[in-house]
Amino acid sequence: MTHPTDAELVALATPYALHALPDDELAEIERWVAEAPAEVAEAFSDEVRSVRETMAALSASTAVEPPAELRDRLLAAVASEPVQLSSRRERRASRWRSVVLAAAAAVVVGLAAVGIGVALRSHATPSTADQVFAAPDVRTVSGDIPTGGTATVVFSHEKHAGVLVMNNVAPPSPGTVYQMWLINGQSVTSAGTMDAKRVSPSTTAVLSNIGDSTELAFTVEPGSGSTHPTGQVFAKLSLI
Amino acid sequence: MTALMPADRLPLDERIAAVTSDLDALLRRVAKRDVEAFAAFYDHTRARVFGLVTRVLRDPGYSEETTQDIYLQVWRSAESYDRGAGSPMAWLLTLAHRRAVDRVRSEQAASLRDSRYAAANLDPPVDQVAEAVIVLDERRQVVDCLGALTDMQRECIELAYYQGLTYVEVSERLSTNLATIKSRMRDALRGLRNCLGVQ
Repeated sequence: MTHPTDAELVALATPYALHALPDDELAEIERWVAEAPAEVAEAFSDEVRSVRETMAALSASTAVEPPAELRDRLLAAVASEPVQLSSRRERRASRWRSVVLAAAAAVVVGLAAVGIGVALRSHATPSTADQVFAAPDVRTVSGDIPTGGTATVVFSHEKHAGVLVMNNVAPPSPGTVYQMWLINGQSVTSAGTMDAKRVSPSTTAVLSNIGDSTELAFTVEPGSGSTHPTGQVFAKLSLI
Repeated sequence: MTALMPADRLPLDERIAAVTSDLDALLRRVAKRDVEAFAAFYDHTRARVFGLVTRVLRDPGYSEETTQDIYLQVWRSAESYDRGAGSPMAWLLTLAHRRAVDRVRSEQAASLRDSRYAAANLDPPVDQVAEAVIVLDERRQVVDCLGALTDMQRECIELAYYQGLTYVEVSERLSTNLATIKSRMRDALRGLRNCLGVQ
């Protein structure tokens, strides 16, 4: 491309903002804008801004609801994201944030109470959740909790792991907890607990050891949880 | 009193201003890794993003993947949103459109580049929208504004924006010289902007 006049350069702002420039022209045009007189660069960026606002308004005409599972997958993915920032100061902040994030997630499922199965992502790469999402046999199951809210598990038997997402679940009565159980034939293993404080509008936990379990069941248990289910199963999700 | 009117009764520009300030506040919290704010931001914008991506990619599987990538990018880079450069919705949809177009250009599959798709087909599916931010008269106004363009202007927007062609490809497709295509694009955008009252 030969160097355009100022007016020709500003005229390219429209295809630029519409992402309609060929890749091989893009870098060149950006360089010309950077080198252009201030008023030309300003006219270019005004046009870009205006086209983008116009197309944002236009998006009302193409709006379509995405499937509900996308929200669960996304929240699960976000909860397992390592935080990446560039400068050294920010990197320190990011480590701190990751710790806080992991801690916040850790309280969702009572790790200490159960001793199995629930590992939350911190810095290992790729994370358990990433591996689950990338697994060839990844599946999603979702069910309503009778007292309100939904539970969704994204899981992979190949990776022996799953990600549990709870949305809008009502807290358990005082003095009790919700407890999750992995069921495989006669074998029932605790997969963690949630108390009233830990049930926020949306909570996420990684189930790191689903093995060959065929179901994830939920019960109400007294105190801080039980070694075997004592309450009625009020919800279950099939992991087959 | 304006402040007491329900959101859907406000004039369009005031409604957009209200949405902008809500989304702006949410993005500030997302930049601090607030998952609840992120979920709310998603809920306010998901239909627009998914709708645009689907319009460009025309494949449900690719569209879901791309939408997920877009929101992960929002999560990772909310702090890079520059208030001075435009509204949060424009920032988000620019990012979404870039991703969708990159995906279209990288896919060689004929199903994604179906040139037989009618160029004039800009009518939206009217029944699939449940997003609170979008109210019917806003949609109607946008559709009316699209209808006010000339057929050739609409065709340009269709090919460049929704089918992801470059202006050079649009010129080849329509056997029309580059200068004409560029001015048609500019006139189309100017017409839409004036009709929609975008600043």
